[in-house]
Amino acid sequence: MGGPVGTGKSSLIAAVCRVMAGELELGVVTNDIYTTEDARFLREQGVLAPERIEAVQTGCCPHTAIRDDISMNLQAVEELERSQGPLAVVFVESGGDNLTAAFSPALADTQIFVLDCAGGDDVPRKGGPGVARSDLLVINKVDLAPYVGADVALMLADSNRRRGGRPTLAVSLRDPAGVAGLCAWVGRQLEAWRRGTLVSADPGAPAPHRHAPR
Amino acid sequence: MLELLLGDARTPSGGYAHSGGLEAAVAEGLGPGEVAAFMRARLHTVGRCQAALAAAAVGADLPGLLALDGEAAARSLVAAVRAADRSLGLGLLRTAAVLWPDDAILAAYRGASVLTPRAVALGAVCRAAGLGRRAAARLSLYEDAAGVAGAAVKLLPLDGARASGWVAALAGEIEELAGEAVATGIPSTATPLLDRRALSHGAGEGRLFAS
Repeated sequence: MGGPVGTGKSSLIAAVCRVMAGELELGVVTNDIYTTEDARFLREQGVLAPERIEAVQTGCCPHTAIRDDISMNLQAVEELERSQGPLAVVFVESGGDNLTAAFSPALADTQIFVLDCAGGDDVPRKGGPGVARSDLLVINKVDLAPYVGADVALMLADSNRRRGGRPTLAVSLRDPAGVAGLCAWVGRQLEAWRRGTLVSADPGAPAPHRHAPR
Repeated sequence: MLELLLGDARTPSGGYAHSGGLEAAVAEGLGPGEVAAFMRARLHTVGRCQAALAAAAVGADLPGLLALDGEAAARSLVAAVRAADRSLGLGLLRTAAVLWPDDAILAAYRGASVLTPRAVALGAVCRAAGLGRRAAARLSLYEDAAGVAGAAVKLLPLDGARASGWVAALAGEIEELAGEAVATGIPSTATPLLDRRALSHGAGEGRLFAS
C-alpha cells in the first residue's frame, strides 16, 4: 500500500486487519521515513499481535526501499514468516512519498495506491504511476469531502479516465461498506494468487518517455 | 569491472539504510567538520577488522566461512551492530545469488550461515566474482567510508561533493590498510564509543537509519 503522506495508509491497513485477522494469517511491514510511528500506531490499534508488525528504516530513501533496492523490505517479510510461520498476506506500507513512488513487482504481488479527499480533488487528474496503474486506487476520507470542498464524483471520474478500466474505491473509515469493499478486493487478489493467476503488474515509470531520438 | 559493480551503491544490498554509527554520533553533537575524522577512525578500527575478515573469506570453503562468522561476531559486542551487519550481509548475498546462481559455496553459505556478517558475505561474493583477497579488503574499506559519506549528506548541512572529497582523500590509506589486511591476521579492535552509541540508537526517536 503506497501513497502520499497523510492519506490514511496505516489506518486503512489497521481497518483491513481488524476485519481479516480472524480468518487469515496476516503480517505488516512499515517503511517509516523518520520514526517507527506507523509501526507503533498499528501495534497500538491492537488488531495484530505486535510481533506481526515489522518496521524498516529507509535512510531517508522511502522510494529506494520499495523500488530500487528492496533488500530491507524482503528481509523484513522473510523475518516475519520465519518468526510467525507462513502468512497469507503481508501488507507492505510505503513511507508517505510523492506521486511517482511505486513498488517493485519483485516486492509486491499487488499494489494499492491511496489518495484522500483532503489532499485536493485535483490529485487524480495529476496522474503518476500509482494513480494510473496501481492494481487498486483508493480515494480515502470521502466523509471529509463536504468540509474541504472536494468533489468525490470528479475524483472518481478523473481516476477512471486515467486508469484504463482498473478499479477505484471510494472509502471512508466511518462507513463499514468502504472497508468491506477493500477487504473483498484483498480477498479476491489472494484467491487469484492461490490459483496462480495473479500477475504482478508494474505501475512503472512516472510517465511514458524515451531517451533515444525518434 | 566487477569490483566497481560491487562497490556501487546502485547494486542493491540495503546499504542506503545504514550510517555506520554516524547518525548516533550526530545526535550527540558531531558536526560536519568532524565527519572525515569519524570515517578515518572507523577505517582504523572496524574497517581494519572487516577488511581482514573479507580477505580471509575469499579463500574460505563453507566450514571456513562459518568459522569466520564466529570470528566476526566475537569482535562485535553490540547485538544491534551484529543485526545491522547481518542485514547488510543478507542483502549482498541476495543480489549475489542472482548474479552467480551456480556458485556452490555461495549458495551453501547463504543456506547455512546464521550470523552472516557483511564482511564475510562480501569476501564470499568476491570469490564468486573472481576477485582476489586484496580487492575484497579494498571494497570492504571503501564501502565503510562511502557509506558514512552518503549518510553524512542526509544528516548534516553538507555539499555532497565535499563528502566525496573526504572519501577520495582516504584513497592512499585505504590501499595501505587493504595491503595490511591480506598480510596479517584478523585484528581485534575496540570501539567503545561506537558501541555505547549503538546500544541506544535503536531506541532513538526520529532516526532515519537502521544503524
